Amino acid sequence: MTISIWRYSHLVLALSSGLFLILASVTGIVLAFEPMQTATNGYNPVPLNEVRLSETIAALQQEYDEVLSFKVDQDDYILANVVTKEGDNKALYVHPKTAKVLGVPEPQHPIFSFTTNLHRSLFLKSVGRFFVGLVSFLLCLIAVTGLLLIIKRQGGLLKFFNKVQPDYFELRYHVVLGRWFLLPIILIAATGVYLSAEKFSLLPSTRVTHKIMEPEDHVDENIQASDLAIFKEITMDQVRLVTFPFSPFPEDYFELALQNRELYVHQYTGAILSEQPYPFTYLASRLSLTLHTGQGSVLWSLILLLASSSILFFIYSGFVMWRKRVKNSVGKSKFSEDESSHILLYGSETGNTNGFVLALQKGLIKAGKRVFVAPLNSYTTYKKATDIFILTSTYGEGEAPTNANKFLDKLETVVQPNQLNYSVIGFGSLSYPLYCQFAIDVAQNLRKQDNFKETLPLVKINNQAKETFLDWIEKYNQRTGERLRVEAYLPKSNFLKPKKFEVIFKTEVNVDQTFLLQLKPRKKIKFQSGDLLAYRPKEDQAPRLYSIAKYNGTLLLSIKIHEHGICSRYFSTLETGNKITANIQKNTHFHFPKKATSVTCIANGTGLAPFLGLIAENKKRIPLDLFWGGRTKASYQIYEPFLSTHLESKQLQQVHLAYSQEGTKQYIQQLLELHSKEIAEKLHNGGAIMICGSLAMHKQVLEVLDQATLTYINQPLRIFEEKGQILSDCY
Amino acid sequence: MKRILGLAFSLVILTTLIAFVQAPDTVGYKCMIQLTNYEGEGAYVVVSVVDKEDKYVETLYVQGDDEEWYRDLTAWWKNLYGVKRPTLDGIVGETVTGGQRKMTVLQIPSDKIDTGFKLRFESAVEDHEYYKDDVEFDLTTENLATKKEGKGYIRYVRMIKQ
Repeated sequence: MTISIWRYSHLVLALSSGLFLILASVTGIVLAFEPMQTATNGYNPVPLNEVRLSETIAALQQEYDEVLSFKVDQDDYILANVVTKEGDNKALYVHPKTAKVLGVPEPQHPIFSFTTNLHRSLFLKSVGRFFVGLVSFLLCLIAVTGLLLIIKRQGGLLKFFNKVQPDYFELRYHVVLGRWFLLPIILIAATGVYLSAEKFSLLPSTRVTHKIMEPEDHVDENIQASDLAIFKEITMDQVRLVTFPFSPFPEDYFELALQNRELYVHQYTGAILSEQPYPFTYLASRLSLTLHTGQGSVLWSLILLLASSSILFFIYSGFVMWRKRVKNSVGKSKFSEDESSHILLYGSETGNTNGFVLALQKGLIKAGKRVFVAPLNSYTTYKKATDIFILTSTYGEGEAPTNANKFLDKLETVVQPNQLNYSVIGFGSLSYPLYCQFAIDVAQNLRKQDNFKETLPLVKINNQAKETFLDWIEKYNQRTGERLRVEAYLPKSNFLKPKKFEVIFKTEVNVDQTFLLQLKPRKKIKFQSGDLLAYRPKEDQAPRLYSIAKYNGTLLLSIKIHEHGICSRYFSTLETGNKITANIQKNTHFHFPKKATSVTCIANGTGLAPFLGLIAENKKRIPLDLFWGGRTKASYQIYEPFLSTHLESKQLQQVHLAYSQEGTKQYIQQLLELHSKEIAEKLHNGGAIMICGSLAMHKQVLEVLDQATLTYINQPLRIFEEKGQILSDCY
Repeated sequence: MKRILGLAFSLVILTTLIAFVQAPDTVGYKCMIQLTNYEGEGAYVVVSVVDKEDKYVETLYVQGDDEEWYRDLTAWWKNLYGVKRPTLDGIVGETVTGGQRKMTVLQIPSDKIDTGFKLRFESAVEDHEYYKDDVEFDLTTENLATKKEGKGYIRYVRMIKQ
C-alpha cells in the first residue's frame, strides 16, 4: 500500500528514536519539577526593579566582612559569595535591600542531578550528549511532519482547530493532543538541539572579549562604591552577576554582567573601563536554556511537564496506530489481476477501512471466487473480471486518499475488455460536511462509463459502522443470489458483550404504527441519551439500531412497525416482563452538547426518541427548543407525557409541531423556514443544532439551514458544521 | 602499678583533648583565578597542597560541581579523590569559562606554609587537554604575595592574605 512520504517519514523517525524519546520524556517529566521546587523558596521579597544596585552593594558591604561576588538567578534570588564577620567564606541567599541572610543554597537533590545527567548525556559524557542532540533533532522532524499531517487531515491550516473526525481513541487523541502540544514540543526539541549543538562548538562563539583601558591610579581611595553614580542608575533586575574588585588597589575593578552587556567599572571613579554587548548567539543560548528547562517560570515548567507527558502518549498511541495499520494491511492476492473474477480496489489514508476490505476479500474467497485486491491507484485492465468493488474513504477536503488520487484519471483512459458489475462503498463520518465525497465522485464517474453496470447504489458507512456494511452484504446477496458471509472476518472489538433488558412499559400502537418501548437493564450499565441499542433478530444477521433516550435510568425507544421489519414486528409483540438481549453502542457524536449556548432539536417521526431523554440533561437550562414533524396530532400524543415534564422544569422552552396530513399540512422544513432568522442567530451565538430522523428529512433540513445562515448572517452552514455545532443521527 | 595506669590513662585523655582543641590553624587567602581566552566548556580546577614527593596532602578548593568530570583531573583523581572520596563540603564552586575570573577564599593550613610544601592548581576542560601543574609553586609567604602565571587554561593566579 502506498502512504504519503510525510506519514512514512513520521513513522520511520518515530520508530528509530522511540526508546530514547521515552527515556528523554520520562526524565524530562521529573526535571520539570525542579524549577517549580526552587520557585517555592521565595527568596525574592521585593521586586528587583525597585532596588538600585548601589543599595545592594552598600548593604552587602555593611553586613559582611568582605564581598567576593553575587549573582541574580532566574528566580530573582540573590546569591552572594561573602566572607562573614566570623571569617567564614560562605554562599548565601540575601535580601536585596538589607543583605540579611534568607537562606543557604542546597545542593541539587540527588534525584535531579541523576536525572539531569541521564537526560543530557545518558551517563555517556560527550558521546551521550551527541546522541541526545541527534534524538532531539529527530523529535523536531517528527513534530514538523506531524504538523503537516494534521494540517492535511484537517483540510488546511485555517481549519487546524476544527473538530477532529471521530475515530478510535488512540488515533483521535493523537490528533487532538497533537494540535495543542506540537508547538511546545517543537520548542523543546529545537532548544534541545541548539543546546547540544553549542556543546560541540557547532555554533559561532558566544564569547565576549574585553579590551580593557588602563585604570587611573591617582584617585581618591576613600570613595565608597555605593556612592558611584553608575551603580545608582542600574536597577537590580538588569543585573546577573557582579564580581567585586580583587583588592583595594585602583587597578582592580568591578565586573558587571547585565542582561544584555558586560561592564568593567573603576572601583573609585565609576569610569567604564570596558563595555561589551552580548552577541546574538549568547542571548539565543540563554533563551534556549530558559525555554528548555523552564527555569524561573512555574507556568512554563508546567507546560513543559504536560508536553513531556504528551510525548509518552504520542509514542503509545502512535504505536497502537502503527500496529493496527500493519494488522489491517491487505495481504497479497493469490490470483493476478488477469486471472481474477472479482476485483477489490480500496482507497484509504490511514488504513482504517482495510478491515472491511479484508473481510470482503475473505468472504469472496470463501464463496469460491478468484479475488484480486489492490489500491485504487493501481487500476488497470482486468481480462477475466466480472465484478468490481470499490471501498474508499475521503481525505481532507473531500479529496481522494493518497493511494487513490490517480484513479479518476485512469478511469478515463483505461478501457476494460469486459463489462464489469460495480459497487461503491464509501467510508466517512456524518459529522463532516463532505461526507464520503470521494466515494460519491467515484460513483458518479463510474455511472458515466459504458462498460460499467451498477450492482447496488453507493452505500455510505458512517464511523465504520459494521451494521451498515453487513446490511449492504445482505442486499448484495439478495440482488445477486450469492451467499457471502463476512461477519466472522470483521475485527471483533466493536461487538460488545450482549446485555439483558426487561420490558417495563409499552404504549399501544398508534395511528402511525408507532409505539414506545421502555426497557430496564438487568445489571447496572453506563449509557447516555443519543446512544444506540443494537438488536440482532438472529445471531448471524446485521443488528438493527435504535436511538435511545435515557429516562430515569431506563431506556426509552420509539419504534415504527414496518411491514417486513423482523425487529419492529417482534418488538411490537413484547409484553411487560419479557426479556430481550441486545447491546448498547456508544454514539458520542450525538450526546448533549455541554458547551453550547442554546440547543435546537429537530426530529421527525421516531427520531424524537433520543430527545425525550436528552432534554433532561439540560441542567443549566440554556434555551432549548424542539421542532418535530409528524403526520397528525394523534401521532404526537404518545410522546406528549414525556415532554410535558421537561416543559414544566423549564429544561425545554418551546415545542414547535408540524403536521403533514392535518391542519395547515406543513412539513418540518417549512416550519423551520418560519423560524430561520432566529435559528441562524442562535448558531451565530454558539448554539448547537441536533437533528434526528430520516435521511431525507436530514437533507432538506440542512438545505433550509444553509439558506437561513446565508441570508441572515451571511455565512454558509459549512462553517458551523466544521465547528461541530450541527449534530446529526439519521438513518 | 595502678598509679602508672591512671597516669597513662589521663595522658591519653589529655593528648586527645589537645588534639581536638588544637584544630589545625589555617590562614585565609583570597584567591583570584583568571582564565585565558580558550574555546570550550567551563574549566575544572582543583587547588591542592602537595608535599615534596608530590603526594596530595589536602584539597583546598574545587571549581566545578559535576562529579562526572572529576575523573578528567587525572592526578588528583588517581591519587586522592578516586581513592579516598574526601568530603568536599563548602569548598566547591561553579565553573567559569574562557576569559572569566573566579574569586574564592582558600583556607591554607599555617603549618604547611614555609615548611617545604607546594600549592598546585591543576585544570581540565571537557574533551580538551589536562594540565597537571597549570600553576604550581612552593608554598611560601613570599610566593603567596606574588602574581603567578599559568601554563594551561589559567592565565594567572593572585592571592591576598585576609
